[in-house]
Amino acid sequence: MDAITKQTEEAKSFSFKEFGDALVEFFSSLKLAIFLMITLAILSTVGTIIQQGERPEAYIKEYGENAYWWFVKLGFVDIYHTWYFSTVLVLLCINSLTCFHQRFPAIWRSIRQDKVNVTASFIQSLKRSVTVDLPAERSTVTEAMGLAFAERGYRVLVNKGDTETTLYATKGVMGRVAAHVAHLSVTVIVAGGLLGNILGFRDFGVCLEGETYHVPQGNFDLHVDKFWIEYYDNGAVKSYNSTLSVFENGEKQVAKTITVNDPLVYKGIWFYQSSYGDSWDRVEKARIVVRDKATDKVVGEAILDWRKEAELKNLGLKLQLTDFVADFGFDAKDRRVYSKTVEHENPAVKLAITEYDRQLPAPWIFYHYPDLFEIQGSKYKFELTGYLTKKFTGLQIAKDPGVIIVWIGSTLLVVGVMLSALIFHRRVWAKVVSEPRGVTVYLGGTAYKGQIDFDREFHRLSARIKALAPPHR
Amino acid sequence: MFRSLFLFDVTFWLYLAAVVLYFGYLVASKRALRPAYAGHPAFSEEDDGWAQPLGQLATWVTFCGLLVNGLALGTRAYERMQLSGTFAPWSNQFEAMSYVSFAIIAGYLFLELKYGIKAIGAFVVSVGFIAMGAASLLPYRYQVAEPLVPALNSYWIYIHVSITLTSYAAFAMAGGLGVMYLLKERAERRGRRGTIYETFPSLEKIDELGYKSVMIGFPLLAFGVILGAMWANYAWGGYWSWDPKETWSLIVWLIYGAYIHARMNRGWEGHRAALYQVFGFGMVVFCFWGVNFLLSGLHAYA
Ligand code: HEM
Repeated sequence: MDAITKQTEEAKSFSFKEFGDALVEFFSSLKLAIFLMITLAILSTVGTIIQQGERPEAYIKEYGENAYWWFVKLGFVDIYHTWYFSTVLVLLCINSLTCFHQRFPAIWRSIRQDKVNVTASFIQSLKRSVTVDLPAERSTVTEAMGLAFAERGYRVLVNKGDTETTLYATKGVMGRVAAHVAHLSVTVIVAGGLLGNILGFRDFGVCLEGETYHVPQGNFDLHVDKFWIEYYDNGAVKSYNSTLSVFENGEKQVAKTITVNDPLVYKGIWFYQSSYGDSWDRVEKARIVVRDKATDKVVGEAILDWRKEAELKNLGLKLQLTDFVADFGFDAKDRRVYSKTVEHENPAVKLAITEYDRQLPAPWIFYHYPDLFEIQGSKYKFELTGYLTKKFTGLQIAKDPGVIIVWIGSTLLVVGVMLSALIFHRRVWAKVVSEPRGVTVYLGGTAYKGQIDFDREFHRLSARIKALAPPHR
Repeated sequence: MFRSLFLFDVTFWLYLAAVVLYFGYLVASKRALRPAYAGHPAFSEEDDGWAQPLGQLATWVTFCGLLVNGLALGTRAYERMQLSGTFAPWSNQFEAMSYVSFAIIAGYLFLELKYGIKAIGAFVVSVGFIAMGAASLLPYRYQVAEPLVPALNSYWIYIHVSITLTSYAAFAMAGGLGVMYLLKERAERRGRRGTIYETFPSLEKIDELGYKSVMIGFPLLAFGVILGAMWANYAWGGYWSWDPKETWSLIVWLIYGAYIHARMNRGWEGHRAALYQVFGFGMVVFCFWGVNFLLSGLHAYA
């Protein structure tokens, strides 16, 4: 009974170990790596074919109701943030870390200690190998060969026996170390991205010249001193720029003119010049034409500055532009006027009118519908015939503490991949065996890659050795 | 503007001439082969005489093409400088294509110099020529240098774009070598003798050179994509926004990453590797052209 329990226990622990090994094997396998890379490529392709993060109507219009339902179900409308996309990324990290764990120690060890002693038949079994008989001293040949290897940058280890000497020469193992640096870097980059996602934020601000905005994430204020656009001679936009000042506790800390490709950084928060556009709730100026109600003749015209009273003395009028909406909408519940969109679809201004010192009820005047309302108690009709838009500056506001880690990982990645492409691991063995009349040299080598270059190098090495034979023979 | 367009035109014709000469060289070397394998002495004088001068001429014409191509890019850079104060001669589709063909041809000449294999020229120079030809087929408004939009007006464009485009050139070279491999392999499988394909280097060599090209393109693309991310972080406040172009660069990079690892121990050499190189190059072409014209995003300026 006891024995049986023990046996099963043993079997169990054994199979656990086996299971663990199989798991490590699986996670360090190249097969999985290839599968994950291709999977990521395919998922990303889906994400570029189907536009990401659109409004539902856009999908329904293009693909139909049914397809849209599936897209939402499968996460295709935001595929880069789905659980399965993240899973693949995480698996790739696990995969490359396990690979590192499995293979790197051996490579590292081989830098210091390597297989020096090999048999002649091993050398002959290598893909590149030659055998040469030389009528020379063993020590002379050994020395000459060591020199030949060293001249080509090989590290040479020598093992001297009674009747034979074995030389082992190697170089370029750093190329393989570099490949493993690249493997580690993938996790570093993903970790940096994750950190940024958790600790960072990204906002978009629509800001107006002359206004101050509070930045809660940094607990300071941002004042937009100025915004302007520069043009090329042909009228194309050359650059757009905002001058920003940071205020903390009412005191000015820094000021900088930002432009596309040149952000402001304050307390780890970056302000980018991201876009610009026409404001939807104010204008710079508006042109108002005044007509006489009775005759329908134009009797006056005023160019009004935003919220500044202007006087038309001959008509006994004082006018002020108090409000603007770009796309007129009326909220019946709150009895409030608002702009339905940011587009200038149905622009309207609200005009405060004082006629012969009498305040009239302020009407909305529509750009597209000049005759919509009649203003009670006025001699005049007012028309909005044009306006100068007020530009807003679009600021991207972001903080990403993970970004530095991403750059570290990226540097490791690029350096690792570059070095592993440029440096390749080569190993050459030579066995010099004393014979009754001279020596026999067995020379063989393998390269981990870069076969053509190694072929040439091996060819030169063997030519060098053959040349050790005295010419008279 | 017309000066550089004229030079680009000259480049096009020189590359065309080079392609013809390289194919001429192949045919001539094949004719030189025939008597040797048939086992009786050369049956006419010119069989042996043509291959070498044609090959030499092909190399020189290619070299002249490269010079004119470089001159054209330089002239375009000067014109850009006059126009808008930035000079990167790879700021629109046309210029980028011309730069890619420059890089392909430069890479090829380096390869020929180093390994002395001329037969490859017929394929790789063809790819460079096609790139140049496709550029010159673009409508005129894509060929002229418009001033840069604000987002592109930055020193990042010099390094990010040139490195990415150079990696495309390396992948183009791998694609050309893949085609070459497949053709030669097919000829060998059918057991046909005395064909053009016999003048090609050995399958093993073509395979290895293809791999080498990928191993040049792969780190360059990694570097290019990361520089793009740095630029994006500087210009737009985010290093990665899954914009179609950057995503496609990543896709291409992953595809070649799979290739490198598949080669390592899954025996993806020879036939499969060659097929994959051609497929990968197709993806590069899509990343370069398809994305700009079919998908929308930040990079679709041109
Ligand atoms: C996207 C992430 C990866 C990158 C950028 C990458 C990059 C590289 C590079 C550049 C090489 C050298 C290739 C060569 O010398 O021809 C390499 C080798 C290798 N990679 Fe990766 N790799 C990645 C992921 C993985 C993963 C997930 C595995 C998991 C199995 C893996 C396994 C290997 C192995 C076993 C080698 C050979 C290393 C040696 O002994 O020299 N790689 N990798």
